Amino acid sequence: MFSKILIGRYLPGDSVIHRLDARVKLVLSIAFIFMIFLATNWPGYLLATAITLLVVSLTKLGFGVFLRGVRPLIFLMLFTTVLQILFVTTGHVLWSWGWLKITSDGLVNGVAIFIRFMLIIMFSTVLTLTTTPLDIADALETLLRPLQKIKVPVAELALMVSIALRFVPTLLDEAEMIINAQRARGVLFNEGSLVKRAKAFIPVLIPLFINAIKRAIELGDAMEVRGYRVGVERSKYRMQSWHKIDSWAVIIFIVFAILLFVFYLIF
Amino acid sequence: MAINFQEVGFTYQVESPFAVPGVHDVNFTIPKQQFTAVIGHTGSGKSTMLQLLDGLILPQSGKIEILDQMVTPETKLAATNEIRRHVGMVFQFPEAQLFEATVLEDVMFGPKNFGHSSEEAKTLALKALRLVGMPEKFDDQSPFDLSGGQMRRVAIAGVLALEPEILVLDEPTAGLDPQGQQELMALFAQLQHEYGMTIILVTHQMEFVAQYAQHVLVFEHGTVIKTGTPEEVFSNQQWLQTKQLDVPMAKAFADRLENKGIKLEHVLNLDALADQLAQKIREANKNV
Repeated sequence: MFSKILIGRYLPGDSVIHRLDARVKLVLSIAFIFMIFLATNWPGYLLATAITLLVVSLTKLGFGVFLRGVRPLIFLMLFTTVLQILFVTTGHVLWSWGWLKITSDGLVNGVAIFIRFMLIIMFSTVLTLTTTPLDIADALETLLRPLQKIKVPVAELALMVSIALRFVPTLLDEAEMIINAQRARGVLFNEGSLVKRAKAFIPVLIPLFINAIKRAIELGDAMEVRGYRVGVERSKYRMQSWHKIDSWAVIIFIVFAILLFVFYLIF
Repeated sequence: MAINFQEVGFTYQVESPFAVPGVHDVNFTIPKQQFTAVIGHTGSGKSTMLQLLDGLILPQSGKIEILDQMVTPETKLAATNEIRRHVGMVFQFPEAQLFEATVLEDVMFGPKNFGHSSEEAKTLALKALRLVGMPEKFDDQSPFDLSGGQMRRVAIAGVLALEPEILVLDEPTAGLDPQGQQELMALFAQLQHEYGMTIILVTHQMEFVAQYAQHVLVFEHGTVIKTGTPEEVFSNQQWLQTKQLDVPMAKAFADRLENKGIKLEHVLNLDALADQLAQKIREANKNV
């Protein structure tokens, strides 16, 4: 039931992108989302698309995987695109029917938004597909460390993130198991009115919550027994290391950013 | 015949990078009103097979006949609800599926879903609760206040209240104390003898297989590699060990005695072993 969700899943591999430092990937992915808004003209879009396709092909996972990752969001993307096309009323009118108008600006905006959506999803899928959740959590911890100065409990936040990530598949499996068990007892999911469908999930949500609480208590006990104390300086088992390719990735990205900015100013 | 699998295959998340093999080329028949045990190493496809025979997933190839209903890859998933009316399914750790405010309401949940009125559901639920040995005083308690073993009983009662013709049990005794295990197994045997239920039990405990089962299916790498009576299946210890399975302890002991020259026959449980040994001793005394 949840098997089609690609977001947040890790696909093992041995590509250049897989070997990149998680911190680099995380920062560049976030930066990319902001960068993409600098692309306001065709050369900009072309460059951003080229860079995305390059990164995707470097992962050696095949384009099909990424396209499938986009699929669950395609409705949202098309919806926004259509809204843009129909409700932007500036520019010259290309086609009209009653109060509906399609204008040149609307069309351009719509396509631009579609491309942005596509590139952002593809680029952030690269991060999750090529980085283990634990690496992402570690990277987050290192990147947030400066916030410790203003009393943000970074270590605890990172712990929460890594535990949460660790239990996503466990909880999904459990949800699927409970859904099956309730189906065996005659619950019909995906049938009937909206209210009926929503009600059908009560026998899934209550056990899921209760089991999560039980699991949290057990995990807390197990951690304490193994000597976990809050607010104590701990050593790290998993070390992050910076390699030459990380520097190259950053350099290439900076060049890309500068080019994008130049295009933004020129055109 | 209760259930028949013909060349059944199923792959999880087919056509995705996460494709996981489930089962392939599965062929077997489960007779009505009998006790069938399913054994096999972890990950051998047993649980996938159980989901197939409850219509929770559809086969991608082959066909399954469940109580005169045919399930093929073309069957509509909505049509399988009819199957679940007749097949009761107790999943691993079924206590994780309890959710209602009281024990009684939780057991009534299944019958109500299958169209029984509240009155009927209550009658069925009370009957099922007594059957699993839950005293009346727990009926109005929250299921979350019960002990683990009691929760397991309530969950099983929730399935028995459907009065299924076929009862499928996926490791129902896992995590229980020895006495709780014995009591549950005795209950399943009673359901088979007194109520004529077809029982299908997945277990790793060979003692139970030897004691209760009339048929055994052995799974390995997603397919059935052997079917037969417990005696046939347990006759070759070496073969079983290559499948990472064991023979019951009584049988293992009898084999060791046989190596020392004491010939025993049809030993699968302690009673049979003790009987035959007593017989041997009596014979030996007579000859002296």
